[in-house]
Amino acid sequence: MSSFTAKADTATFKERTDAALADRILKVAVERTAGTAETKRGIAVAAFPDFDAARDRAAAIKDHVVAHLGHYLEMFEANAVAAGAKVHWASTADEACKIVIDLCKAANAKSVARSKSMLGEEIGLPHALAEAGIGRVETDLAEHIIQLADERPSHIIWPAMHKTREQVSALFKAKHRSPHEEETIAAMAESARRQLRGEMLGADVGISGANFLIAYTGAICTVTNEGNAELSLVPPRVHIVTAGIEKIVPSMPHAVHMLRMLARSATGAALTQYTTFYTGPKRPGDRDGPEEMHIVLVDNGRTKMREEGLAEMLRCIRCGACMNHCVVFRQIGGHAYGGTYPGPMGSVLTPVFDGLPQSRDLAHACTLNGKCQEVCPVRIPLPTLLKGWREKSWREGLEPTSMRVGLGVWAWVASRPALYRFGTGIAVRAMRLLGRKGWIDRLPLAGGWTQYRDMPRPAAQTFMAQYNKERRK
Amino acid sequence: MSARDAILSRLKSTAPGPIEAEAAALLTAPERPAVDESALEAEFLARLALPSVNASHDVIAAMADLPAAIARYLEGQGEHLTLYLPPDPRLATCDWTGFTLHESAAPDEAATLAIARKGIAETGSLVFETSPQAPMLPNFLTLHHIVLLAVKDIAPYLEDAPLPGVQPRAHYWVTGVSGTTDIEGSYVRGAHGPRFLHVILLRD
Amino acid sequence: MTRNVALFVTCLVDVMRPRIGFAAIRALEAAGCDVVVPQGQTCCGQPALNSGDRDHAAALAKQTIEALEPYEAIVVPSGSCAGTIRCHYPEIFEHDAAWLPRAQAVAGKTWEVMAYLDQVCGWKPEGVTVDAKATYHDSCSGLRELGIKAQPRRLLKNIDGLTFAPLQGEETCCGFGGTFCVKYPAISNAIVGEKADAIDATGADLLLAGDLGCLMNMAGKLNRKGSKVRAFHAIELIAGMGDGPAIGEEA
Repeated sequence: MSSFTAKADTATFKERTDAALADRILKVAVERTAGTAETKRGIAVAAFPDFDAARDRAAAIKDHVVAHLGHYLEMFEANAVAAGAKVHWASTADEACKIVIDLCKAANAKSVARSKSMLGEEIGLPHALAEAGIGRVETDLAEHIIQLADERPSHIIWPAMHKTREQVSALFKAKHRSPHEEETIAAMAESARRQLRGEMLGADVGISGANFLIAYTGAICTVTNEGNAELSLVPPRVHIVTAGIEKIVPSMPHAVHMLRMLARSATGAALTQYTTFYTGPKRPGDRDGPEEMHIVLVDNGRTKMREEGLAEMLRCIRCGACMNHCVVFRQIGGHAYGGTYPGPMGSVLTPVFDGLPQSRDLAHACTLNGKCQEVCPVRIPLPTLLKGWREKSWREGLEPTSMRVGLGVWAWVASRPALYRFGTGIAVRAMRLLGRKGWIDRLPLAGGWTQYRDMPRPAAQTFMAQYNKERRK
Repeated sequence: MSARDAILSRLKSTAPGPIEAEAAALLTAPERPAVDESALEAEFLARLALPSVNASHDVIAAMADLPAAIARYLEGQGEHLTLYLPPDPRLATCDWTGFTLHESAAPDEAATLAIARKGIAETGSLVFETSPQAPMLPNFLTLHHIVLLAVKDIAPYLEDAPLPGVQPRAHYWVTGVSGTTDIEGSYVRGAHGPRFLHVILLRD
Repeated sequence: MTRNVALFVTCLVDVMRPRIGFAAIRALEAAGCDVVVPQGQTCCGQPALNSGDRDHAAALAKQTIEALEPYEAIVVPSGSCAGTIRCHYPEIFEHDAAWLPRAQAVAGKTWEVMAYLDQVCGWKPEGVTVDAKATYHDSCSGLRELGIKAQPRRLLKNIDGLTFAPLQGEETCCGFGGTFCVKYPAISNAIVGEKADAIDATGADLLLAGDLGCLMNMAGKLNRKGSKVRAFHAIELIAGMGDGPAIGEEA
């Protein structure tokens, strides 16, 4: 990945999480947005007839597409081309960025309007545009805040979730031409509206992602609540779409089912405010729309995921429910994860993009409580996939020596029941020596436990010792 | 090898079988919100009034009543009778006396009229397509998005929204106003585009 | 009809709180079971499995399967360990033709103790009195892997004098997560800190749950913050042993 993420990547996971845990403002900000999302999703799901069956169907639709991905991509390409779009293919993030930059240069673009896309973040497009000297207008309000602050998104639905209103206010006052005067969120949003309206309408190129690619028609679908996608993509002369190859659905009714799941899982709404299907560039006689439409289909590790046991992750529709419901995310926020995608889905994806040696902590920093899988609209077995990374990390010798030796000795003893009884007997006696009044407040080898909580003092004898003694009576 | 070939060579189908039939089978009896198909107008209006959609509405009996309904709305909002009208021949029959009509939408257009091809009762969505008679941008630039919808065009489900056959440049669903929760999760209307959505139902 | 059941004690109960094992035996016997404690058992292997150490996990799983397969049913006073045997043993031996059927057979007859008493035995406690207000935490593995939710509540309802205070976020993880709590102690602490606050806010006298790991985590945090809430495994109350020492109290 590019230096766009370098700021966060220089710190270790522990340093990042310690900093996040010490930031009480962050905690409040995350809790406010994720907590609201959790509540609203709960209400929406309860009101939906048979959401569990709908999740089965959503998973089945995505599995069907992933199984026949080549077939559908070719069909999508043929239909998009027939509608007048140009389709480009990129194996890597760098290839994808190069295609976009070359298209912008060919269009003689001085500025591009960008509608938030996680794929764009994943491939480092903001950085690539900056390096090419092309001005970038982030039109999603949260991405606009992130751009002004020169930060990275901390959530896939609410990228500026970590910012408080006071921080946003200071930022707008420093950077907007005619900033708000009244200290309300509505006034701040109005300030951004004034600032962005002209910049959007003046862009030479509009860049978006795609929530869905419709194979049967060659359409790309974007969803927003702000309407910024439409304002970014209709006025410019060129519309460039960057989309992961897994975004395919066969037909419009399949997209309808996925949209029902997406909005409810993300925000608890029945549907996003603006849902648009773009098929090719403007038609003869049309009053608006771009003259050129380019669609860049990006692999960036997805074919490999399909081959190497992560096919289920390709079901992901980027709703963010897993992170909103994750006890770890709720404590540390998105930046501590260090990748483009935070939370449980990010912990599965980041090793694909950044490599396991750089990101092995992510798979371990999870209690395996299963809540993410319970809320996932496409039933991705996230805990199982995280355990898969743990196994790979163990096989490849990435786990710390202390862990490998400790677990090895423990397992060796535990495989010998008689020796194990002897060992547990000693352990119980040793632990009892450390305790007072039923509790142990400092325990060697378990400092992580007793640093924050007490350990109950064990009984005088193990269950097995007591049980066998009584039985012999 | 091109990126296209490199990608496609690794994506051979992993399951046999008639792909199209399998895809069709995945659409049998979809789970979706219940809609009373005998009361589509009431169902649609109920969804339109939800906080997430937050639209107002009015009802007219004939096309000729449209200008008066729009005037009523704009006056109620304290706005001038200034309006962007799309070049749709159905609107030319109305008497627009008293209005200042715009043929192209200004970047800060106050009010825009659009004709929805369909309304969807399931979600309170309004369905549009682009065409020479129906530009798209004015519907996003405007502060007041005023939409004419014939009651007979209300359909129950989102599956009823798409057009069959060749697709227009853009097919889009509007289900509320331009809103954002990006600052502290607090809901603000009129983030970039319309702050108000007003639906005029035509019961002709 | 007498049911011959094997008790899989779990390593944590064996070492840290034997009375949970004895409570399980007592309740099972009251429900008409003949309980044996197979001597070949140690740990189900979950710590190795969750650390990615598949080989040691498989070795311990084989040992456990050998120890448990002769019995009609296997009962475990932990949703987490029962979940490992029921859900994950068959996964471990997915590609092992010799062990897969044995793993599946043991998985199919392994039960969390309260689920077994309630669903299989149709038993409920009689003549047990505990005058206290309790709150219940649903431990994650039991809840999501085994569907344990109503069973403990049905059993506890039959205890005279026991009242309940609902726990805000009763299905939210307590931050234990096995080795997670010692690998990432600061994150775990932040999670269990919120859990302890929620428990305190109920005004309950007792915290009940079905997994000793989670209970030690929550009780340890409650004690550190000076809370007076006392923690028990629910089976202790159900077996009529709620008058004994709570977790962290001397006998």
